[in-house]
Amino acid sequence: MIPVELYIGLAVIIFTIGLYGFMTQRSGIRMLMSVELMLNSANLNLVAFSSYNADLTGQVFALYSIALAACEAAIGFAILMAIFRMKDTINLDSFNVLRW
Amino acid sequence: MAIGDFAFLIPLLPALAFVLTFFLGKKLPNGGAIIPIAAIATSFVISLLITLNLLQNPEEVITQSYSWFALFNVGVLVDPLAAVMLTMVTFVSLLIHIYSVGYMSHDRAQSRYFAETALFTASMLSLILSDNILQLFVSWELVGLCSYLLIGFWYQKPSAATAAKKAFLTTRIGDVMFLAGIVLLFADLFTIFNGTIPAGTYILRFDEIFAHIPEIAAINANILGMEVSHITIITLLFFGGAVGKSGQFPLHVWLPDAMEGPTTVSALIHAATMVTAGVYLVARTFPMFIAAPDSLLVVAYLGAFTAIFAATMGIVMNDLKRVLAYSTISQLGYMMLGLGVGAAIGAEAVGVSLFHLINHAFFKALLFLCAGSVIHAVGTHDMRQLGGVAKVMPITALTMIIAAFSLAGFGIPGTSIGFSGFMSKDPIIESAYLFAESSGMWLPYLFSIVAALLTSLYIFRLIFMTFFGKPRTDYGGHESPASMTIPLSILALFALVFGALTRTSFYHFLEETFTNNFVNVDIPALAEMGGYHLAAHAGEEPMLVLWMPLIVAVAGLLIAYLVYGLKIVNMDNLVSRNNPVYKLLYNRYYQNEIFTDFFSVKVIYEGFAFASRSVERGFDWLVNWISDITIETGESVRQFQTGMIQTYATTVVAGVGLLIILIRVIMEVI
Repeated sequence: MIPVELYIGLAVIIFTIGLYGFMTQRSGIRMLMSVELMLNSANLNLVAFSSYNADLTGQVFALYSIALAACEAAIGFAILMAIFRMKDTINLDSFNVLRW
Repeated sequence: MAIGDFAFLIPLLPALAFVLTFFLGKKLPNGGAIIPIAAIATSFVISLLITLNLLQNPEEVITQSYSWFALFNVGVLVDPLAAVMLTMVTFVSLLIHIYSVGYMSHDRAQSRYFAETALFTASMLSLILSDNILQLFVSWELVGLCSYLLIGFWYQKPSAATAAKKAFLTTRIGDVMFLAGIVLLFADLFTIFNGTIPAGTYILRFDEIFAHIPEIAAINANILGMEVSHITIITLLFFGGAVGKSGQFPLHVWLPDAMEGPTTVSALIHAATMVTAGVYLVARTFPMFIAAPDSLLVVAYLGAFTAIFAATMGIVMNDLKRVLAYSTISQLGYMMLGLGVGAAIGAEAVGVSLFHLINHAFFKALLFLCAGSVIHAVGTHDMRQLGGVAKVMPITALTMIIAAFSLAGFGIPGTSIGFSGFMSKDPIIESAYLFAESSGMWLPYLFSIVAALLTSLYIFRLIFMTFFGKPRTDYGGHESPASMTIPLSILALFALVFGALTRTSFYHFLEETFTNNFVNVDIPALAEMGGYHLAAHAGEEPMLVLWMPLIVAVAGLLIAYLVYGLKIVNMDNLVSRNNPVYKLLYNRYYQNEIFTDFFSVKVIYEGFAFASRSVERGFDWLVNWISDITIETGESVRQFQTGMIQTYATTVVAGVGLLIILIRVIMEVI
């Protein structure tokens, strides 16, 4: 039995990598990938605790979360497609129209 | 049912006539004049019957009172004072309405005219009938409103609109004082009752007010280091209202300008429905005045001063109606003086003053209607263009001469031979003499004598310039129709004999005003409280004093005859812009310049303009400051919105981190 701390440590590492990627990358696709990493670190936590507590609820939640992540990714890519059509780039630095 | 039960109909019928004429008048002949005439005629009959009834039994006055709201009531009070006023007002108003049918026949807005005069009469009647000061004030304001409407009747003329506005604003100054007096009186009575007023007691009703005069007098206020009794303040505020309404100095300025309305309106205002309201108010609250130290002296001095002040201006006016306007102010001064000398003769003063009021109403209405008749026929106000009118208009001339003799006060002292004006003016001057003798203050008496001389002078100047001599311009003219000359003749009859016939019974009748089943006031006791020494007995003055008013009246007639009738003195040197006295009088003591141009426009208007400009500037600065601050803050704060998703994510992470640290710190502390 692998102790639950290791799972949590792994999840923290993955989340931090995702967060770092989200904050530093400029490409829209890379940012979405970073978001996926963060989401999956959270899923990992859910599953780990589910197994640790011998309760299936967490795993069901993780399935929901994966499904939601798929939807989110689909919408995110659709938006990126639209941006690409408009600006011929998916570098979000050049897409700061929502500012003052 | 007794006739007194119908007293409430007296103001109600003309009020109803106002509504009917206003809405239906245009469809009826003569602008629906018949409605107000019928209504006022009925009111007159009721008033007359009530008065005759009351004459039999003057102590049984008519009172009806109904709760209005809270502590106030509406009610009817017909005591001798109200009864004579009611009869006079309905009578004069009736004659003026009949006369107006002829006078206003060329005017297209006839129905509006008759509606407004009906409302005017109704308001005045309701004022007279009031049994409490609040109802009186409401009617008082209605009278003010109607005067505004009627003076500005020809509102297309800018001068008429201005005159109406001036009348309204000037009387308003007095009205505000009157209202302040009522508020103070109410507050005092409330204190006296300790805030618990038994049901059915209306504290602003005259009987309650009069019953609590000693308590009100006991309340003192400290003004500029002087102890002043509240009763003095209240009465002086009331008198302020009367000064505005009755055209006493310095609020008389509206009255000469009020000539801009139709002449019949002037007659109504001057004789029956408006200017007498002030005198009536003082007479009505006379027990308060006599209990108030110094108040009656103010009334006497101001009245006497107004009498002489207005008379001096009457001498130089060239406009027919303006002479009469100044004459009214002067005669109102006499009435106020008559009330003021109550300081020496007690409650009799009400009779003396009111008798002059009634007689004045007759002869002044007559003078105005005669003037209206002349103006109607020849189409000019200017006496310099007239002359010899007596030949074309014999009835008008004759009636006007009777009125002039009445105004000047011709009669033989000690007998009952004399014109009405003599019968009433003489007692005022004699009372002023008694007052002077008992108090040592001779100024009011001197003023009243000189004013009598001037009165005689200006009215006969008017008569000689208008009716005698040769026509100075080709005016052409004709005698007025019967609907105009009949009221003239009736009024002339009254101006001739009313005073002589009713003199003794009138005084006797009015003596019951303050001792009856409604109010019972001990005037001598109150006079003692006010610090006035009532003279023991009247009628024992020296011969010279008795004859003096007649002597000056004859002197005035002679001077007018010599100067304007025979023209033995060349007036051209005197009547010129180079003569400083004439200039001063002709420009009416520069009152217009002082009151309107300087005080109203420069001081008040400019002052307000400056104040509002300053305030505006202050507000502008504040509003601009707030907007500037908001804009600057926004400018600096909006820099945070970079529009880049990474910035937001970083901020969120930093925020969450900060939050965690904070929570840790807080947990540690706890």
